[in-house]
Amino acid sequence: MNNLSRPPLVNGPLIQVIRLSKHYSNGHGVIPVLRGVNLEVHPGEMIAVTGPSGSGKSSLLFILGLLQPASSGNYQFLGRDVLHLSRADQAEFRRRRVGFVFQNCDLFENSTVYENLEFPLVYAMVERHERPARIASALEMVGLAHRMGHPANRLSGGERQRVAVARALVNQPRVILADEPTGQLDRQNGHKIMDHFEEIVALGETALIVVTHDSQVAERCHRVFSLEDGILYEK
Amino acid sequence: MRLSDLLRLSIRQLLRHRRRYWGVMLAIALGTAGFITIITMGRDLKENFNRDLELLGRATLVKVYFEKLPPYQHQIFQQSTLEALRQMPGVKDASLAVSTFWAQTSLQGQQYGFSLFGADRAFFEVCGLSAQKGKVFGLEENNHRRRAVVLGPELARTLFGTIDVAGAELEIQQDIFTVSGVLKDVGLGDLRNFAFVPFTTAQDRIPNISYPNRIYLRCSTWDDVEKVVPLIPQVIQSQQYVQGLKVDVAWDQVKRVQAIAFWVELFIFSSIAATLILGGVGIWTVMMAAVRSRTREIGLKKAMGAEDQAIMAQFLAEAVCLSFTASLAGSLVGFVVVEITSIMINSHPAQGLFLFCVFIGLLVAVGLGVAAGIYPSLRASRMEPVSAIRYE
Repeated sequence: MNNLSRPPLVNGPLIQVIRLSKHYSNGHGVIPVLRGVNLEVHPGEMIAVTGPSGSGKSSLLFILGLLQPASSGNYQFLGRDVLHLSRADQAEFRRRRVGFVFQNCDLFENSTVYENLEFPLVYAMVERHERPARIASALEMVGLAHRMGHPANRLSGGERQRVAVARALVNQPRVILADEPTGQLDRQNGHKIMDHFEEIVALGETALIVVTHDSQVAERCHRVFSLEDGILYEK
Repeated sequence: MRLSDLLRLSIRQLLRHRRRYWGVMLAIALGTAGFITIITMGRDLKENFNRDLELLGRATLVKVYFEKLPPYQHQIFQQSTLEALRQMPGVKDASLAVSTFWAQTSLQGQQYGFSLFGADRAFFEVCGLSAQKGKVFGLEENNHRRRAVVLGPELARTLFGTIDVAGAELEIQQDIFTVSGVLKDVGLGDLRNFAFVPFTTAQDRIPNISYPNRIYLRCSTWDDVEKVVPLIPQVIQSQQYVQGLKVDVAWDQVKRVQAIAFWVELFIFSSIAATLILGGVGIWTVMMAAVRSRTREIGLKKAMGAEDQAIMAQFLAEAVCLSFTASLAGSLVGFVVVEITSIMINSHPAQGLFLFCVFIGLLVAVGLGVAAGIYPSLRASRMEPVSAIRYE
């Protein structure tokens, strides 16, 4: 039994980050990126993190998704320390708890929409006969159920990002980590993506942490943080 | 990650990027087809070469006889000895012969002397002799003790002034024989002036014919000569008591033919090995290129929760599927080539050997896929997710 298979705490924050720091060494010295970041996120919350380019927003997101290690601090997910998990448990954490949405609408180009959404289920060892229903359900949430068999490279930009959102949802994660999800979309499609996020978060199980430059995206979140010089402020 | 998913995704990946893999697949397929063909048909081809080379020499012909003994100490080979020699592994056939150094014919009032052989049904096949005119005799003529004679071309010219004498009648030792054919010149040596009658007829009708005291034995290939020759005395002694046994082999020719065959085989196997190695290098190169071009994909998959082993298994499975599929195609090509070659040289290679070669070919392909795919797969699996996601 790994560290993640215990039942989650019902009450309390989903994410609790205390004095989290991250720095890079480049041979000439140490470059601090995050300095003592504190953050608490509850299920059903939408959090926006804004800040200038290079301020460490994406680094924070990657650390929260265990794609990158922190230099120091404490990170608890559903009451359990996840910062010191083994590589295999980190992967398990990403499979079960986290859904990522990136700026570039990263889909697997030579695959269909269905196949794109199937990958997370494959890694989560979901039975093959269960997959179509779960994929259809995720696609319905973003209004693209009719595009299931469509090749990914023939979708419009807005559709591609909605498929990416559906892919992040297909394993029913507890938190969606979105890095500039509307960055390459026009205003209308950007709004659609945020509408979907709102609907998902409104169900109360899932939280959203979105890194954005777009003030309109930030305004639609419950709380907005700003990251400057590695320090996270709540606005 | 389930094995079924792993294979399905790997095969899908290969099919969707098939253009990228054509060259590599072709190299592996050709290598496998060559391997299967050479191993499966090797022995038959050798026998075929052997038959052709016999026109120039007698590398696989073994002559077994007795040292010259006084006439009252004559020794003969028994039929059971001949049969035992025929059963030896590596022996294609054996023939028992009788001879006389002096036979006479009278033609148009003139007397001619020549040497005469009594040959059994296997003699011409064993000695690699065939007719240029008419035909040589065999089992039927021996069974029915026919008065048939085959002439050496020189003797035919001496007696008739031509070699076109099939059907002509010839008096031998005051008995009338019908000429059934005239032998080809090639490989005859001093037999050009000989006449050949069926073994049984010779024993019945030719006075002063020798006892059956010589056996000609044909090995299947030149490689068999070295294995068969030391066993011949043992096999003969197991059937009958003999003294002064002599076994003649043209060792110089055997060694020379073996040397030629060795270099030809070395060349062929080197070519196959080079093709397979090229295929392996090809897999390594395309997999390295695939890892590079799919860096973001690797990052994304890790973000979805793919473990390092899953990424490694994915690329390794693709490499193995690639080489396995190519080898499978090569096996099909090999099957076709073996079938065509079998028809061309009129042989029947063992099906078990073919299937064994296919199995080995597929096994080698899997090994090649693993060996060539392991480093690119390791590299893919060890990528840091963030660096991979940010890769441009």
